[in-house]
Amino acid sequence: MITIEHVAKEFSAPGTAKQKPVGLMRLGRGAAPRIVHAVRDVSFDAPDGRITGLLGPNGAGKTTTLRMLAGLITPDAGRMSVDGIDVVAQTGAALARMGVLSDARGLYPRLTARENIVYYGRLQGMQADAANARAEQLAQMFEMNALLDRRTDGFSQGERMKTALARALVHDPANIVLDEPTNGLDVLATRALRDSLRWLRSPEGGAKCIVFSTHIMQEVERLCDGVVVVSHGRTVASGTVDDLLAQTGETDFEEAFVRLAFSADERAHHEVAGPT
Amino acid sequence: MNKLRTALTIYRKEIVDALRDRRTLLTVLVSSVLMGPAVLVAISALVATLESRAELREVYVVGIEHAPSLKNFFERQTYTIKPAPADFEARLRDAKLADPVVVIPKDFEAALLRGDAPIVEVVFDSANQRSQAGAGRIERLLNGFGRERAALTLALRGVSVDLLEPLQVEDRDLASTQTRATQITGMLPYFVMMAVLYGALNAALDTTAGERERGSLEPLLMNPLDRWVLVLGKWAAVASVGMLIAVLSSLSFLPGQWVLRSDTLAAMFQYGLREASMFLVVLLPFAAAVSAVLMAVAIRCKSFKEAQASATVVMLAASLLPLINVFSLGSESPWYLWVPALAQNVLMTHVLKGEPLGAVQIAVPLFVCLALTALGVWFVARTLRSAAVR
Repeated sequence: MITIEHVAKEFSAPGTAKQKPVGLMRLGRGAAPRIVHAVRDVSFDAPDGRITGLLGPNGAGKTTTLRMLAGLITPDAGRMSVDGIDVVAQTGAALARMGVLSDARGLYPRLTARENIVYYGRLQGMQADAANARAEQLAQMFEMNALLDRRTDGFSQGERMKTALARALVHDPANIVLDEPTNGLDVLATRALRDSLRWLRSPEGGAKCIVFSTHIMQEVERLCDGVVVVSHGRTVASGTVDDLLAQTGETDFEEAFVRLAFSADERAHHEVAGPT
Repeated sequence: MNKLRTALTIYRKEIVDALRDRRTLLTVLVSSVLMGPAVLVAISALVATLESRAELREVYVVGIEHAPSLKNFFERQTYTIKPAPADFEARLRDAKLADPVVVIPKDFEAALLRGDAPIVEVVFDSANQRSQAGAGRIERLLNGFGRERAALTLALRGVSVDLLEPLQVEDRDLASTQTRATQITGMLPYFVMMAVLYGALNAALDTTAGERERGSLEPLLMNPLDRWVLVLGKWAAVASVGMLIAVLSSLSFLPGQWVLRSDTLAAMFQYGLREASMFLVVLLPFAAAVSAVLMAVAIRCKSFKEAQASATVVMLAASLLPLINVFSLGSESPWYLWVPALAQNVLMTHVLKGEPLGAVQIAVPLFVCLALTALGVWFVARTLRSAAVR
């Protein structure tokens, strides 16, 4: 179970932050130090045995939120916990209970897929034998047996993705966090991933708590038990797909999402700017 | 214990990763192992040509027909007289002629009899080093002729020859044969250090900037790891690669000795297991420090290419600092020991001279290297998290 309560994070844009308004420059907008509010107020609960979708447009703060959850960035405010373990105070313990597929999913090109996966297993404190057995089990699940002993150098996007996912799940974590997992995958690979996630959610698969971020509506509709809509660094709505449709009075989920995520002004602006 | 195991896991992975980078590794290995013998062969070939030129006892002369007495003297000294080519000046300038040329004036013999001290030119080009090296030899030869003439003239008049030499000058060279040899073998420490630097460079950049470029640093940090353990594991792997190169290039001079073509040089260049191990005492801490410094420089860079550009500063400093020792012409200041790269160069030069290294001489650079290592590792550990997300 993952709980996020009112987290916020701001960055000062490098270079501009040091500039002081001087003389006439004070009138110019560029003179003020630029503070980027990546995340203003994001909250959600992701229970076990369910898939929670973090839906938001590009730049809404999804990746920053997930990076904070993975302990890479310390939040300015708010609390995050994984199975009751505070992420900031006990980052290591929280990470041991999480499998994170981050935005960056680079593999080691000179190592085989198996070595990549086992390396992370060892770093999670597993014995070599156990990590190896787990790698084979995951390869079975993601249908990548043939890849296992090849170097990852020439892997396709889908093959990389599978390896990175197996690597993130090697220690059989109770909580799975995926940042835009379907990016760059073709239809079949996306379908296979969806099946895997459904299985991981089921009691046979371990009833995992799964959080994944996306900006693709169809994925959320097909897969998610709960949706959290994030826009401009804030949680603007949450519930099931049907809840959100009812809340907005729309029948089409895409329309509902646009209503929730963008202000009337933004929508009007896009409609004018769109065709030109 | 758990942390040690994790550090070992990281170390093992980085070593495997570095060893599988075959092409880079092979380039470094081949160049560092072959470098010792190659440098020695080049030096010995140079010395051998100088020696053989002296043994040839040849003198190039223009106008020997004007000086029968000089010709007679040259022949008595078992020199072979060779007529200089007509365009000898151009040839000397272009370094096509390796010997100086003696030019004798037309009225040489007559002027000699009148006691007019005829002018005999020894023509060489100081930019043409081989001709310059021979010039001293030819001048001594000509002076010998002058002394002989003077002695004969004085003897005819019943004056003792000793009057001409009221004092005797004798050279006493304090340098041991090995010390003399370092004038020639002095560049060897420099080559060894470069090998260590270039050996560590690739691994250091790959585990830091390379990891960022591949996007593998961010997921790596999402494991429950102590960043110190992570950085120490990585550093140990990079340092091991650097040390491996240090060992190989230090040992490469052992077989390198067998190929020495000059007997004189072979006698002067004493390099055995003792010298090799002294080299390693100096080089291993250096490899450790260089690895940490290169990693610290590279962790701030987003790509391998950017890191290579930044590392150039380190490489340049490490290749220029030893030159202080070269330009100071053997007079060392105590502060040399506190400057990395320079200190190593100084100490290895001492080893080649056959001088023992004192405790302070070893301790000071060791301390500097350890401090640099700690600083580099600390910086990488501090920067790692922010580097992963940027």
